Parts: sequence; structure tokens; C-alpha cells
Amino acid sequence: MEIRIVVTGRSYHTAAAVPETLVLDEGASLDDALQLINDALEEGASLPGSCLIAIDNQHMGTVASHSNTVLQCGQELVLIAPVAGG
Amino acid sequence: MNDDQAKTPGLSDAELQRYARQLGDGVLSEQGQLRLKQSTALVTRVGGMGGPAALMLAMAGVGRVIIAHGGEMISPDLNRQVLGSEAVIGHPRSEPFGEYLRTMNQFIEVEAIDHEPDDEEADELAQRVDIIVSCPPTFEERLRLNRAAVDAGIPLIDAAQWGMTGTMMVVEPAKSACLACVYPETPPFEEFFPVVGAISSMTGTMAALEAIKILSGTGKPVFGKMLTYDAFEGRMTTIHLERRADCPVCS
Repeated sequence: MEIRIVVTGRSYHTAAAVPETLVLDEGASLDDALQLINDALEEGASLPGSCLIAIDNQHMGTVASHSNTVLQCGQELVLIAPVAGG
Repeated sequence: MNDDQAKTPGLSDAELQRYARQLGDGVLSEQGQLRLKQSTALVTRVGGMGGPAALMLAMAGVGRVIIAHGGEMISPDLNRQVLGSEAVIGHPRSEPFGEYLRTMNQFIEVEAIDHEPDDEEADELAQRVDIIVSCPPTFEERLRLNRAAVDAGIPLIDAAQWGMTGTMMVVEPAKSACLACVYPETPPFEEFFPVVGAISSMTGTMAALEAIKILSGTGKPVFGKMLTYDAFEGRMTTIHLERRADCPVCS
């Protein structure tokens, strides 16, 4: 199955190599997807623990603190690295 | 101006004339305008996002606008800090920023604080304002204002930026997710972040618009949502935020 991936927020250029769609096995979980995304980041880079996660616009928590869930084909996984700045 | 507008108690003819373009269908009612006049908003800080936010609140007619920002203005600030000018570089910014706001609307009051509030002052300010528009660069300050707003039971609008991306969330205390719900782990601070002034102004102005809606009772505030505009990718995202049952601030 395929899901769409959106990475935005701070330093999202480090995720330039993350594909816009991710191919996963049926029954794959959010953690499976996060692992694949981490693998695609620039060498030495990782998703920050405070990175916000949303599936189909629904807040799921952060990379460091979220409930794992089984993904469905066609869903959109959004990752927003925290931004600040005044 | 029509006869009904001229009869609105609490708003002078001159005020009704000033706000004529924002009164009517699809914008503010006269009662909403009066509620704005009777409101107090705290904006901290007033740089790239908070400056445009404070300016829009002042021009819209929020009766008392309190701004807080410490330090002196430096040259790189002028790619986004619209309340400043070449003349302010090298000088403390809160007073000239406040003075500029006063020149934009004779019908309101502006209070300028020359530093960022600490825990105690944030609590004190939250008790005497109706809304907080939070635009600081550090999560420490943003979480402080979030806690103060939640404790005081007033709405908070949090605005943030990086590069060409802006985010905004609107907190309705005890009803929607607060900033601590969204960031249970305090993210690190990045002092020299890249930013294009246009995204700062857009994000700050969006925050001001939400404040105007809430204070005037107009439209549907985006309570419990985070709006993200990634201008680099040309993508707008809306996230429906969830409260955390174990949030130390709002639960």
C-alpha cells in the first residue's frame, strides 16, 4: 500500500530525499513508516523528538510521544518539525 | 455611515468613520467593534510576527494594546520587523515601536514594556488582558505565555516561523489543546534561524485576525487547530489538535 508523506517545519530540507509517497506492507504501522522516513534522511539526521505527527490532519502526538497505529492505504502522514522565531 | 452606526453607544462618529470598511456583513458588527474597543491584548514579542500582529490589532481598534520586547534593534531585524526603521537600529525598540502604533490609531491606548515578561509578570499581565498573542522565538517564552493564559482562562494565539514556513495555533483554555499538549518535550532553541519577512508578516497577521475574531465575537475562531503554511512548497495544512490527558498545564 502507499501513503503520502509531507515533511515541513524547521530544517525540512534535511528530508529532501524522503519520497512523497511511501510504499508499505499491508498492516504496516506508523512506527514502520517513521523508521523508513528516518532511513531516508540525510546521513546523521533524524526526526526531532518534538516533531508533530498528524495522519489525515488528525494530531497523533510527537515522534517521541505518540500512540502507534495501523496505517491505511491512501492516508497522508504529516510531520511538522517545531518552528519558533520571533 | 448610516443612522444606526451613528447611534451606537460607546463609539464616536469619528471612530465609526475610521472603522467603516470593517463594519457590515461578513466583517464586524458595531457591537463587535465596541467589544474590540473594550478589549486589551498582549502581544509579545513584537518583531517579525508580533509587530504586524500588534499593528493590525491597533488599526482594527483594540482598545488597549500591550507590547513587550526587550533588547536593541539590529540591522538584520529590518528584513521583517515592520514597526522599526533605520532610525531605530542600535536603540531599544519597545518605545519607538509603541510610539509608531500610537501614530496609527488615535482612538486606542498602547503600553510598551521594554523586556520579556518572566513567570510572575506573565501571570500578572494575563490577569489584565483578554487575549495573548504569543510570538517569541524561544519555546521557553512561548510555553510560559501558554501556561499564563491557561491559568488565567484567556485565549492564546501562538505564532511561529522558520524559513518560509509559518504556523499558528489558537488555544481555548480547558477546551482545546494547549501548546504544552502539542510539545510535551520542549524543542531546542535555534537562535539564528533563517526567515523571510513576508512569512513573518503573514503569520503575525493571521494571528491578529484570529484575535480580532475572538475579541469581537466574529466568525469561527480556529480553536484547537494548527495552521501551517509552507510557502517554500506552496502548501497549507490544517491539523486538528488533541489535548493530552497528562498535560501538566491544562489537564
